[in-house]
Amino acid sequence: MSYHYNEAFENPDYHFSETLEIDRRRSSQTYPLSHQAPYDPSLPGSYEEHDRRAWNYPVAIPMDSMRPGPEYREVLPSRNPHGNFTDNISFEPEPELAGAPPSTFHLLDYPYAHGPSNGSEDSFIRRRNRRPPDETFVASSSMFETHPVCSEEEELIESIARMPTNERIKAIQKMPETMKKKREIRNKVLKEITKKSRHRGAQLSCCTHCLQGTAVSFRRFGNTLSESFRLLWIWHKTLKIIGAEFGTSVLSYFIFLKWLLNFNLFSFLINFSFITIPQFLAAEPNNLSFTGLELLTGAGYFQQTVLYYGFYTNATISKTENGSSYNMQLAYIFTVGVYFVICFLILLFSMAKSFSRNFIQPQAYSGNASKLLCTWDFNITNDKAVKLKQKNLSTQIKEDLAEVNREVLNFSVTQRISRVAIHLLSWFASLGTAVAACAGVYFLSINNLKLFVKGHKNDLESQAAMLVLPLVTSLLNTFTPFFYSWLGHMERFQSPGQWIYVTIARNIILKISIVGILSYYWLNIVAASESQCWETLVGQDIYRLVLVDFIFCLLGSFFGEFLRRIIGTTVCVSLGQPEFDIGRNVLDLIYAQTLTWLKPSEGCGPFRGLSSMYAAVSEWIQILEHYTVSKWVVWIYHNLITSALFFFILSGIVLIITYLYWQIIQGRKTMTKLLHKQIINEGKDKMFLLKKLRAQQRANRKASALRGQGQQVSLTVQRSSSPYQPSSQPAQQVPGYPGGALDRNQNTSYEEYPYSAEISSGTDFPLDWEPAQPSPGVSEAVALALRAREAAQWDDCDDRDFSALSRHSQYH
Amino acid sequence: MGGSASLLPRDALGEYQELTFLSKQEILLAYKRFSELLPKEERENACSRRVPKSHILTLPELRANPFQHRICHVFSTSEAGDDSMSFEDFLDMLSVFSDSATSDIKSHYAFRIFDFDDDGTLDKKDLEQLVNCLTGQGEESRLSSTEMEQLIQNILEESDIDKDGTINLSEFQHVVSRSPDFASSFKIIL
Repeated sequence: MSYHYNEAFENPDYHFSETLEIDRRRSSQTYPLSHQAPYDPSLPGSYEEHDRRAWNYPVAIPMDSMRPGPEYREVLPSRNPHGNFTDNISFEPEPELAGAPPSTFHLLDYPYAHGPSNGSEDSFIRRRNRRPPDETFVASSSMFETHPVCSEEEELIESIARMPTNERIKAIQKMPETMKKKREIRNKVLKEITKKSRHRGAQLSCCTHCLQGTAVSFRRFGNTLSESFRLLWIWHKTLKIIGAEFGTSVLSYFIFLKWLLNFNLFSFLINFSFITIPQFLAAEPNNLSFTGLELLTGAGYFQQTVLYYGFYTNATISKTENGSSYNMQLAYIFTVGVYFVICFLILLFSMAKSFSRNFIQPQAYSGNASKLLCTWDFNITNDKAVKLKQKNLSTQIKEDLAEVNREVLNFSVTQRISRVAIHLLSWFASLGTAVAACAGVYFLSINNLKLFVKGHKNDLESQAAMLVLPLVTSLLNTFTPFFYSWLGHMERFQSPGQWIYVTIARNIILKISIVGILSYYWLNIVAASESQCWETLVGQDIYRLVLVDFIFCLLGSFFGEFLRRIIGTTVCVSLGQPEFDIGRNVLDLIYAQTLTWLKPSEGCGPFRGLSSMYAAVSEWIQILEHYTVSKWVVWIYHNLITSALFFFILSGIVLIITYLYWQIIQGRKTMTKLLHKQIINEGKDKMFLLKKLRAQQRANRKASALRGQGQQVSLTVQRSSSPYQPSSQPAQQVPGYPGGALDRNQNTSYEEYPYSAEISSGTDFPLDWEPAQPSPGVSEAVALALRAREAAQWDDCDDRDFSALSRHSQYH
Repeated sequence: MGGSASLLPRDALGEYQELTFLSKQEILLAYKRFSELLPKEERENACSRRVPKSHILTLPELRANPFQHRICHVFSTSEAGDDSMSFEDFLDMLSVFSDSATSDIKSHYAFRIFDFDDDGTLDKKDLEQLVNCLTGQGEESRLSSTEMEQLIQNILEESDIDKDGTINLSEFQHVVSRSPDFASSFKIIL
């Protein structure tokens, strides 16, 4: 047998088609090493990866590349046939295979077990699984199996060894292998690294050691930091219980709540440290008396405290004589400015992150059925919750199927008109309610102002009267959504999704209009009134609003959820447990957050005496001009912040970048469509090929029955492969497959290929390999057949034909 | 029982941290829970013991899961084929189901879990069993055979790109990539 291998050894065409397989496998390995999911939409991006990693392997064909032509040609010149084939040609003696370590045993049983990525699903795996129980023929099959394995593994180890440490750790973590296998690979990688560093000798030892030492200590520091942050994971257990009992969607509400809390904490820290603390230091004594009602109304005593904007001094605070001073005005501007910029950036990044994760191209995705494959929530641990979820899923599936079956529901004209009329009516009702609510709030607030302006009586009555506005607002916000849900019940929507969207839209309209009216009232009417320090008034109003909203929330959760649960489970069981209305609660959260963000913008307070807030900055710049040390600040101010040219250039650059990205996206969309079509075509080609093979096989069986036992050898080679379990990776399946994608429509062209002659002469498939095998075996069987054909050719010394075959593929 | 947590050797801990997606706390917690599954006399050497499948299934995180048997089968490296799990298998499982595991590895193992006959593809039988697990075995939540046929047809129509009648790993991962909630629902945290 070695004779044949040597002969093949010299023939470049022989390497050519064989290396195809190896290169496909190798390229599939590049995936775990790139930190790019193979199925993210950036398929052409994988070509960039290709170029970057060219130094790893002679060729790295991206796994999803299906164009047979150009890459194949690239393979030949750059490969060193001798270098690679020495590995593959020698085969291991049987005992090593027989006494396979448990890891190999493990690999045998599962088609997935080996292989660093989902690319492990390709032919390489199947080769391993073709291990015959009949070990006398181990030699022939080992040529396909063990040494390609070893050389692949070696290459993998080498490439991992070349990576920097943290990438290396990530690459090993990402491998879908058992711990034992990963540990083996890791040990080999470490050995490789020590070998290489020994080879490199003592050059650069000092610098690299220092650098490595610092890198290691830095990483350790980072690790301990992240460990200690995990200790700060408050509510982790509670969140887990919530997720377990109610599922991931309810959990997401609480995670959002936690995120908002962190966000507000951060803003509090910034504002407090830069604005409030200096203010405390420079405070004047407070003369007003403190009565309990202030907690509710926010007026009275609180007026002269740091709670309100009007109180802040506009002075430059200097505690010590000739010491450094703290300019309150600038502090206020810059703190608030920086805070808003940071808010904006945080929101921008989290939106971009969630957008990139969650964006689904609607036109590429048509149906719901395949979603079933990923709907199961593994977080749920409660038995009853599981059963409930199963029931829900089953109902949903049945409904979906029934809907599809129903085709188009033919409504009669009158029915359609009545539906439209009902929709219009309810929209009218909801908008009307919103307008009425706004009008009520408006008149109440005018009333409120009159109370303020009329007299600053700080007696109980007028103070209590000031609470009416927030009370009414919160009442409206709480009870109108129920009215909207009832309206939604009355109309019959096409789908529950539509109903939810409409209800949410109505709620948002209501809340936004109320907040809008209030803002208008504050900014225009109160500000225009003659009262002294209107920001304080507005601040008080907002304070009251937030407080009452908070009280309502508490009451709502107490009465709405807790009591109702008790009533529902004990007194009136038919009511059942209340469901957690995620939408309503999320809206409430957002509303409360908006209230805290409303800030008045001008007037008394730290900016007394200036025409606008911004004047403080220009005054400061003028002062700075006198100092030579800070000339650069003045230069930045004049040339960057106030110059229009700078912003023009900046926006130009942003627009160009946006346009570039947009073009890239368009290109990728086209690429995706083309590749999709190509996959379908390749599938069809395989089906065709398989049919032809089966036809040939049937013909052969009849022929060989007459011809006798001359083909025994090839027979057993094939038969030994039969207990093999098919698993398919259709796209990578076809090694020397000669460019069928292009000749698909010309069925007769296949007759011209030399291998068909080989089929009739050399191969006989074992009888138990029946075409009755259902479709799962298709692609595998094809690969099997092709490889068997190759083996038969070598056995029959027909390299000639094989190279003719390879030449064919070269030209496609 | 408190002492068992400290019996995990430090270098093993570091190694596990490098080989899995779990943090130190999670590994220690896993060790604690794993040794609780063993009888008292075997707790000393928890790292080298195997816990039979029935004990693993008593964990509250797996008890109610409809895929519990598949999970044990996929992650078990037991040569006897009894789906018993060693500590390393247990860590493997927790690592795949952890918060920080990549979506790739999650979808890879999800595919293996859903592949009931372990042949490397999801064919009609696998999908049928999958749907039965999802809808439960109760009389009213089971799908009739026509509904099942149709549902599987729909699934294959949408996800089988090369039209060979089965869903392979790549097609499965393609489907999963279109569902942004997959990574957050494919989680088991101790």
